[in-house]
Amino acid sequence: MDIPDIPGGFAYWCGAALFAWLIITVGGLYLRRSHSLFFPICFALGSLLILLCAILGTTGTVALPLPSYLGDAGITFTNDPLSRWFLGIIGLVGIPVAGFSPGYFRHLQERIAVGVVWSGLALLFISMVGVVLSANAIVFMVAWELMALSSFLLVASEHSSRHIRHAALVYLGATRAGTAFLMAGFLWAHQLTGSWAFADWHLTGVAAIGPAFLILLGLLTKAGSWPFHLWLPIAHPAAPAPVSAVMSGVMIKTAIYAMIRLFVIGDHLSAPYLGVVILLLGAISAFWGVLFALLQHDLKRLLAYSSVENIGIIMMGIGIAIVGREMALPALALLGLGAALLHTLNHAIFKSLLFLGCGAVDAQTHLRDVEYMGGLLRRMPWTGAGFIVGSAAICSLPPMNGFVSEWLLYNGFFELALHGPTAIVRLGAILLMGWLALVGALALATFTKAVGVVFLGLPRSAAAEKAVEADKGMLAAQLALAVCCALFGVLAVLVLQPLGQVTALLGPGKALATYWTIPLPLLVILLVTLVAAITLGVVWLARGRKTERYITWECGFGTLNARMQYSAASFAQPIVRLFGGLYHYVMRIDRRGQNKRHFPDEMSAEMTHEPYLETRVYSPLLSGIRRLASSFLLLLQGGSIHQYLFYMLLVLALLCWVGVRG
Amino acid sequence: MIILLLIICNILFIPLLLIGVINKIKALLQTRVGAPVLQPFYDIVKFLRKGETISETASWVFIWTPRVTLGIGIMAAALVPWSGLQLPPAWWPATNLLLALYLLGMSKFLGMLAAMDTGSAFGGLGASREATISVLVEPALLIGLGSLAVGAGSMDLAAIYAHPMHPLVAALIGAALLIAALAELSRMPVDDPTTHLELTMVHEAMILENSGRNLALTEYAVALRSCIYFGLAAQTLWRVWPGFSEQSSWMQYLAGLGGLFALGIAVAIAEGVLVKLNWRRVPNFLILATVFSLCAALLAVTR
Repeated sequence: MDIPDIPGGFAYWCGAALFAWLIITVGGLYLRRSHSLFFPICFALGSLLILLCAILGTTGTVALPLPSYLGDAGITFTNDPLSRWFLGIIGLVGIPVAGFSPGYFRHLQERIAVGVVWSGLALLFISMVGVVLSANAIVFMVAWELMALSSFLLVASEHSSRHIRHAALVYLGATRAGTAFLMAGFLWAHQLTGSWAFADWHLTGVAAIGPAFLILLGLLTKAGSWPFHLWLPIAHPAAPAPVSAVMSGVMIKTAIYAMIRLFVIGDHLSAPYLGVVILLLGAISAFWGVLFALLQHDLKRLLAYSSVENIGIIMMGIGIAIVGREMALPALALLGLGAALLHTLNHAIFKSLLFLGCGAVDAQTHLRDVEYMGGLLRRMPWTGAGFIVGSAAICSLPPMNGFVSEWLLYNGFFELALHGPTAIVRLGAILLMGWLALVGALALATFTKAVGVVFLGLPRSAAAEKAVEADKGMLAAQLALAVCCALFGVLAVLVLQPLGQVTALLGPGKALATYWTIPLPLLVILLVTLVAAITLGVVWLARGRKTERYITWECGFGTLNARMQYSAASFAQPIVRLFGGLYHYVMRIDRRGQNKRHFPDEMSAEMTHEPYLETRVYSPLLSGIRRLASSFLLLLQGGSIHQYLFYMLLVLALLCWVGVRG
Repeated sequence: MIILLLIICNILFIPLLLIGVINKIKALLQTRVGAPVLQPFYDIVKFLRKGETISETASWVFIWTPRVTLGIGIMAAALVPWSGLQLPPAWWPATNLLLALYLLGMSKFLGMLAAMDTGSAFGGLGASREATISVLVEPALLIGLGSLAVGAGSMDLAAIYAHPMHPLVAALIGAALLIAALAELSRMPVDDPTTHLELTMVHEAMILENSGRNLALTEYAVALRSCIYFGLAAQTLWRVWPGFSEQSSWMQYLAGLGGLFALGIAVAIAEGVLVKLNWRRVPNFLILATVFSLCAALLAVTR
């Protein structure tokens, strides 16, 4: 292989990582049911190499000299700070996933072929690296498709169960639709520029509208933005936990990468209104995602909806970055892009932590519905602590990492509120600050509910009561991610400095790190000192007095039982009622018995909601397509060989005609 | 140095004094003699010297939350200029309003978890209502303080309050902050701090299981939070008078404290006269804060 123009040897490292994963991909197909430790070790090695590549690598281009039947598009990869940022995310999530999986797969061994799952996982990582390194649309598309198919196979890991097959098909349908739009957009852009290389695309104004919005549609489907988010809450619960962690933490972020690559950096596609559309869709996604997360009882569905929320937050950052570039406000573009990229990294960390925590709970209790959990913190202390750290981070509470990225985003809105060209824009920016606060408060409610109902209080079922802590590999993975959550928050400079290299792609200007003015390390030291002093103080003041353990107050009615606790549904009810108009929320209370007003014999309460997007938009649309398929398309594709031969003749004639016309 | 001493005194004495004053005024309105104004201090000392009963269900979350929330409360009270005092820049660069709000959010998060930790029905009830109130109030706080920040050109709280404000903006945001404070601190008409009836309570339900030192620390943290919110509301309302920022810093400090206690007395009178709102109608009341903030934002961007 001829690779002379690669500085820093980045390509060799990257190649080694891909080779490690390739071995797993092939090996997994042969050792279908093997639990060999070779898989996780080799997988972690590949991830580590990619992580090193991201940290130490330099900018460069690699063109593989393979027979070029792809027209004028060679197999070309580029590595620049933006690609490296995403390589870092891939590597950072890959290592804990490798540590977590062996323990987790053990409880699934009856239902899945472990080797095949490893194989798919490695292929997914190879294709994600391909997506973020690809230099032209063709290579991008190939890697993108590989990514879609490998993740489809992973979602279908437990394909013996009917609802998992359904989920996998829904996911496949969503990716097909997304790819169709993406392909159309790429073809259009190629038509206008005559090149497949992203570097040659420089479309502005009205000409860019067609390709830009088609590509955006394709990317939104992959990212899981409103209104194309429906596959997320269906596919994530079906996939094994480490796969969900990778899909939610990393895979959907490749769409974010493509948005930033094409719309933000380098003026490739700057269509009018693009920024505003992304900003508004992001705002809706953030709210919609968290609102539906609050409604969920399945922990994995809850986390999936919360991914919709976080994708929305990231898209708001991308939106204001584009708006800032259009309005010639460099500070705005910088803050928006910085917030989007940093939140991408942070979300990858805390969402994989939460999915792994959820997987650990699932592996130890075989429960998914939070209404049967409870009291797990005392039974699984480390998993519980990790989940609490992840929840604090996802609610962007200081000193966790989520706070830093939301802080940058708030500052972006503030910049727009100060320097926006018109009063309407400035007012909009202030409203967006309030909107983000609303989303934050809803996230706080959602994750308080999740932690409170799953980990605190009394166990609500025998399975939860008998739970024991997960094995060491699973704990180590969660611990590593939890430490990252705290570390990247307290020592935000660690990530803001390399992030500055990425945002420098926007052009010269102030460094991103200068905007971060909060001395969080000092704050944490002060807080720890204060808490230590308070603890010593109260222990000293009450010296000689005893601390008793006693039952929780039950109003003197007798033994307290788990059913007296607030359930997840009742916790969410006041907030869910507030926004009930958005999803037709109904609570039906049924009392039976002689004196049913005061002493009902039997009582039941049922809450239902109707998600309008599913019932009013997607269902009619899909049934329409099905009707079309069963009537009109059936005529076209009737199974008659004569008919097909006729079609072929028609196409041949058409091609001849086109050729003659020249 | 004097400023630091004053801030420490503020943190140590004002919060509990404010609670004492409110309780005394309420007692007087009900033609009772009432407990001494210093009663909250005696209570805290008494609780701190007692033993503690912890629920068998509770985990480390329950035991450590009051300590951490008090730590956060003290830190927030030292950093936020609720009494008009600000740490010198050499010691602390800037108190961003987001940092202040999110620090309080952290203590809220821990408080709700601790409430659900004991497995009691009350804890979940209180936590759920606390979460609802925070959903209603946070946007108002951010829009309100955000539009003040836009006026001042900085999100630093000290800079915001050093900058002259439009009287109408100050009045609107002061009102919004006051409503937010009433809700966040579980005062009438959102919550009745004196009853122990599950239909009405929010905050009391959350701390029903706390006893001894645990209770003392929680009560103190809540008193600190009251001071931060009411203090910020008082500071904002003072700026309705354009001449306020020209006064000497001592006058501003004393006026700020005076305003804080005036708000306390107003709250006490309101609690004596008003009845508690039905829980289902609380959102209608709290949305007022958002409306005020929105009006203020409109004024702030058009000026």
